[in-house]
Amino acid sequence: MRKFKVIPRLSAVLNRINAQTLKFSLCFRLMFFFALVSSIVWGIAGYISYKETRESIDEFFDTYQMALSRQLAAADWSAVSLRTQHATNKLIKNIENADDDDDAIGFAIFTQNGKMIFHDDENGKYFPLNNTAFGTFVNERLEHKGDKWRLIRLSSADGKYIITVGQELEYREDLAMDIVEEFLAPWLIGFFFLLFAIAGLTYFEFKPLKRLAHSINKRSADDLSPIDVQKSPIEVRPLIDAMNHMFQKIATLLQRERSFISDSAHELRTPLTALKIQLEIVQMADDDAQMRQQALLKLQKGIERAERLVEQLLALSRLEADNGHYDNVEILNWAEICTHLIDEYRLMVDNKTISLIAEDGAQPPFTTGNHILTALLIRNLLDNAVKYSPKNAHITLKIADGEFTVINSDTVVDEAILQRLTERFFRPAGQKETGSGLGLAITKRIAELYHCQLYFENSPEGFKVTIKA
Amino acid sequence: MRVLLIEDDSLIGDGIKVGLSKLGFTVDWFDDGADGKEALLQTPYDAVILDLGLPTIEGLDILKAWRNAGLDTPVLILTARGDVDERIKGLNSGADDYLGKPFALKEVQARLNALIRRRNGITKPLIHFKNITFAPDTKTVTLDGEKVTLAPREVALLELLLLNKNKVLSKEMIENKLYSWDDDVASNAVEVHVHHLRKKLGKDIVKTINKIGYTLED
Repeated sequence: MRKFKVIPRLSAVLNRINAQTLKFSLCFRLMFFFALVSSIVWGIAGYISYKETRESIDEFFDTYQMALSRQLAAADWSAVSLRTQHATNKLIKNIENADDDDDAIGFAIFTQNGKMIFHDDENGKYFPLNNTAFGTFVNERLEHKGDKWRLIRLSSADGKYIITVGQELEYREDLAMDIVEEFLAPWLIGFFFLLFAIAGLTYFEFKPLKRLAHSINKRSADDLSPIDVQKSPIEVRPLIDAMNHMFQKIATLLQRERSFISDSAHELRTPLTALKIQLEIVQMADDDAQMRQQALLKLQKGIERAERLVEQLLALSRLEADNGHYDNVEILNWAEICTHLIDEYRLMVDNKTISLIAEDGAQPPFTTGNHILTALLIRNLLDNAVKYSPKNAHITLKIADGEFTVINSDTVVDEAILQRLTERFFRPAGQKETGSGLGLAITKRIAELYHCQLYFENSPEGFKVTIKA
Repeated sequence: MRVLLIEDDSLIGDGIKVGLSKLGFTVDWFDDGADGKEALLQTPYDAVILDLGLPTIEGLDILKAWRNAGLDTPVLILTARGDVDERIKGLNSGADDYLGKPFALKEVQARLNALIRRRNGITKPLIHFKNITFAPDTKTVTLDGEKVTLAPREVALLELLLLNKNKVLSKEMIENKLYSWDDDVASNAVEVHVHHLRKKLGKDIVKTINKIGYTLED
């Protein structure tokens, strides 16, 4: 259980470090994390090797201590008294001077009744006579300096004496530390070397990235040609691929925008021409009141047409820019929207009938969405049906399962132009009704926003437009 | 001058027809390319105004078909596209001139006049005949320097006769040039116009060639 708690905490810490260092360069971060990780690894490795070394040293010195004590135990101590000690002391001192490397071994010989008869003149003389079993090692603190010593007791061969051989534990620890340090020292040198290597490497490895940044900076705004992937390191390629993909998308969008603007400008020329000409006719009508009146009516019609065109252009451009993100999404009541629109159109059209058929429990093509867009979609279809059907035609709006259909009776649309109906600005020849040619393009776009398709069909019932999911 | 207009936009088509009629042209307007194409094969038009942006049939295809059929009627193309390529394509396909939308009616008139003048081999902007001066651009007529007011059809008749000086024009031909297909033509319409011209410009101005037609003779 604890283990699982530690990991998230650790990752939280790492995340924090990561966040804190994000403001620094990648090179610095790499160096920082490398230093952090290698210090941890270094510490763990040092600790383990220290432990191992300590064990080996213990084993080695224990054997040595044991061997020494066996030798001492084998000696004849009967002739030895404290008097011989002085001679020995001198001898030992000479050896000590000759060899600085003090292995901190000491010994003491006790009689059975606890009297120390001989020692090494150093630490041995402070060895206690304790009651531990013969032949086992004990770690004990000496009263003299408070140092910890490792002691072993043996009985002499003749059983009259007790031999104690000891070694200061600190010596063993120091030795182990020395070994570990020597083992780890090259690591430290390597560590700094690696830090430099990382700094150098990141500098060189990031050169292509810098070059890339430079080349992108140098680009003109409309240069959306793809970046050559081959010249970049493999790691950067996904980024370049993504950027190229993005470039392509922007280029397509830009192209679409441009053609939309040029189409719009182009389409505005026609109503503008009409206005200009009708205005000229008004001017040259002179005293022909009827001619002027006619021209003024046409002028008004032309202005209304231009107005509608501009409105629809705006609507379409907004819809084009909107890639499925629409506001005010709500549950749609298709029947209600249709009823409202039909009521509105019935007031304007008195020679055609409009009715609504909503099948029981039928799900419209889409059930949630923006109310205004949905109403616009239905309005455009209804508007077309009303405009382009003959007198006394019957127009039916039908909500069936998964589809919405508008049928206008007695209307046939030339098969050749069915496919072109949703083209922007497309208007079939001989059109008496004014229109921008954008209504169905807008309808199609709205349907697409809701993942629906628009279908046109000349059926026995009349001309049918269907929206299907 | 009888002009064929092929334009699908109702407001522009109507505007050009009404405007040019007022300026003395006789205009037949078709909003469908196919019908318009046929019309030129049937009727002797003086010029054609052809919109290139027709929905079902390419304006340029109509133009090529006419030229292939050997028709050399001057054609003024109307284009909404501003690009040079399309204009060049139009001119290469046999158009005589082009106008980019939005254009003014006066410009249409001026270009038509220029086209018709060029076709009739008249390079001077004014036509003189005896003591009459006629300005095709403005359709104004002066008699001994005095401006004479003529009805549009009278202007058209005078222009027709002036352009065909010393040629005898039949009554039927004059009717064809003066009236569009929409017009109801009274059987004595041409006689009436000739009568009016003589009244306003002088008795001897138009000569009647019995049973053949009318002419202007130097």
